Amino acid sequence: MAGQNSHPGPADSGVSQPPAPYSDLRVVELADDPAGEALGKLMATAGAEVIKVELPEGAASRHIGPTAAGAREGDPDASLNFWFYNVSKRSVVIDYRTADGMARLRDLLHGADVVITGWRPSDWAALGITPDDLRTDSPQLIVANLSPFGLDGPWADLVSSDLVGLALGGPLNSCGYDDHSIPPIRPGGEQGYQLTASFGHLGVLLALLEREQTGHGQLVDVGMHDCLSVSAELANPYWFYPRVLVHRQTCRHAQPTATQPALFPTADDRYVYFALITAEQKPWQSLVAWMESKRLAADLTDPAYDDPAYRLAHFAHIQQIVEVFFLLQPAGDVYREGQQRGLPIGVLNAPEDLLLDEHLSARGFFVPVDDDAPGGPHLYPGAPIRFSALAAAPVMRAPRLGEHTAEVLGGTA
Amino acid sequence: MYADERRRPRPRRGPLAGIRVADFCWMGVGSVATRLLADFGAEVIKIEDRTRIDTPRKLPLYKGESARNFGEEVVGADPDKGGLFNNYCRNKLGVTINMRSAEGRRLAERLIAASSVVTENFAPGVMERWGLSYERIRELRPDVIYARMSGYGHSGPHASYRSYGPVVQAVSGLSYISGLPGREPSGWGLSYMDNQAAFYNSAAILMAIRRRAMTGEGTEIDVSAVETGIGLLGPVLLDVTVNGRVTRGDGYPTGNRLEHPHAAPHGIYAALGEDRWVAIAVFNDAEWQRFADAIGRPQWTRDERFATQQSRWANQDALDEHVAAWTVRRDRYEVTKLLQDAGVRAGAVQNAEDLNEADPQLEHRGVFFEMDHPVIGEARFEGVPIRFGQTSPDNWRSGPLLGEDNEFVFRDLLGIGADEYAELASTGVI
Repeated sequence: MAGQNSHPGPADSGVSQPPAPYSDLRVVELADDPAGEALGKLMATAGAEVIKVELPEGAASRHIGPTAAGAREGDPDASLNFWFYNVSKRSVVIDYRTADGMARLRDLLHGADVVITGWRPSDWAALGITPDDLRTDSPQLIVANLSPFGLDGPWADLVSSDLVGLALGGPLNSCGYDDHSIPPIRPGGEQGYQLTASFGHLGVLLALLEREQTGHGQLVDVGMHDCLSVSAELANPYWFYPRVLVHRQTCRHAQPTATQPALFPTADDRYVYFALITAEQKPWQSLVAWMESKRLAADLTDPAYDDPAYRLAHFAHIQQIVEVFFLLQPAGDVYREGQQRGLPIGVLNAPEDLLLDEHLSARGFFVPVDDDAPGGPHLYPGAPIRFSALAAAPVMRAPRLGEHTAEVLGGTA
Repeated sequence: MYADERRRPRPRRGPLAGIRVADFCWMGVGSVATRLLADFGAEVIKIEDRTRIDTPRKLPLYKGESARNFGEEVVGADPDKGGLFNNYCRNKLGVTINMRSAEGRRLAERLIAASSVVTENFAPGVMERWGLSYERIRELRPDVIYARMSGYGHSGPHASYRSYGPVVQAVSGLSYISGLPGREPSGWGLSYMDNQAAFYNSAAILMAIRRRAMTGEGTEIDVSAVETGIGLLGPVLLDVTVNGRVTRGDGYPTGNRLEHPHAAPHGIYAALGEDRWVAIAVFNDAEWQRFADAIGRPQWTRDERFATQQSRWANQDALDEHVAAWTVRRDRYEVTKLLQDAGVRAGAVQNAEDLNEADPQLEHRGVFFEMDHPVIGEARFEGVPIRFGQTSPDNWRSGPLLGEDNEFVFRDLLGIGADEYAELASTGVI
């Protein structure tokens, strides 16, 4: 139903359903790692026609688990890893390692706005092409290359992964536990790749805007290492200004020196995140009123605590009382009541908890997708960006290997 | 008007040149979202309130001073010397408006009418309290793009919940999926979602600008940071929604080890020195052979438990002990080089000093750059990590002093006369 998104041009009456943001764009995706695939997904879920060009053996991501329950071993069409990164795309098989295949690929690029690649300089050389080369016959084309270290520099041909990228790029240095005999711990969800995809997306958008003015596409060269090196929030500014390093702490900001824990266990063996800050009067009063309403404020109602200096001097004691207060209640109650009282408390949701969240349900965030797994349709995350004047593109199941080869190449042969 | 004429705004270049943004954004997440627009040519006018200045101005990241944790604000500190604000607000103009006064709100409306993008990241309801609903803003500027970002989005029962990075990370599931099995989550040591939600918001604004250029129509934008975070959870989310997996009490998450694919060794290993670490990731048998060669094929690499990718993955406790015993006597960069030379994915865990002072790749790519600042002096900045064939960022000025561009914006851009301007200043409206 990419067709149902075809955009009304300026001459259109405009009374019909509004278009999705990218309904006018055609993207060819050659990238074979999660950074490029995630960029393709960002564009596909915003309505672009994203044609994923795969070699005959299928994208590497098809061979990574988890797999849909009941699938046969090695089924390239049952990887949930593939499904996650490739919703709303079309799959075309072209063996572009052959001269014939490369010619077909070039035909396809002729009518494309963006091509997403994920190659190091040595990978480009092995294919016998360059980014400029792809643009020779297709000057409108934007070549977005998302590679581990970018297309030049002494490390450009090194190999990487999400873990290695996060290590070299710096964010990992801020993540882990108070106990520094435990190594830094990689946060979940392949964020090194997903952050690279976000920068790739911004690069493509800027190149599209530039193209509106010049008529020409250009190379967008994004290195995961560059992206991660500017994505550890306070770590660089702490080095730029007071020239100090931050040190990792359990589930809270890495800081120059240790701070109080912010993760509190609750009665149902879950956790809430709450940074206890006693300096400000209003949140302090809200907290004590809340504790008092459960008769768990202990001595914190003592007028001596009205003085921020006294609170600071007795911080450890306050922290203990608050720990007990949270430990006696279920996490969901702490979250909702704390928030209703204006305190920025977060419950640590597990993925399965999200499906029961009343707020997400009310916003219709998860959308049913008729995928290939039994018992469907299943819920997938919907668009995190909503436009009043533009439609959300429907989330379509990830394509089977080569599912659209005949349909897409039939028109270009 | 400007003590240093080099601070006077000049025409900007880049794909967003000519686009004026009335920017009500604040805090890290808001400021990062509009920084990208300013970097690429938009005239971003940051609107501040002298009685409630932006938090990054107050966080004590000061040049030439000793380390303070970011909660340890210095009462009465100069708002113009905050380093974090400088990092977030370079290339933006800065004005002050007291939005609690009727005159201030009228002035803001004049600025909005002269802009084509309005951005904000307050708690839902704040802009409405100032009368600045989408409907009103459209009256002022019919093709306006009104970009609104918040923790939970502008509808739903939790829309008014308060959040910042760590809360968003908790609620979206990103904290829970990060940590060692059987322990509390280690989550995040930074406000990762302040960055990602900001980038999604930047992207949304650019998408809307592109559409407006095609159709002439503006739009309201609603970006929810929590929903952005959920979309980033990765394939485990589909394992839950498609396969019905329950991750709680399931030996999940798995720290630095992978559930999929069955890579091993895959971890962060201690290197020589205090709190020095190196990442090693071996994804298949060919990489394993290269790894074994690179480290000189010690006896243990021939252990049958480590003969195949699957058996290595199944015996990671034993495998990791051997790998760690090898790394711990070596420098983290020596390990990196040795393994990378063999085509094995490896890399030192680098801190900010390593990145800024010794990383040859970042130096080559020019990721960091310097600009002067009237109060702070020369300072470093985190550049945009995107290299274009043609386009480049227009880094024209460091972050604005509080109210630095009041006269330029209100008098030159809005055409307010000298008397009225003096009145606005003397009555505390600006």
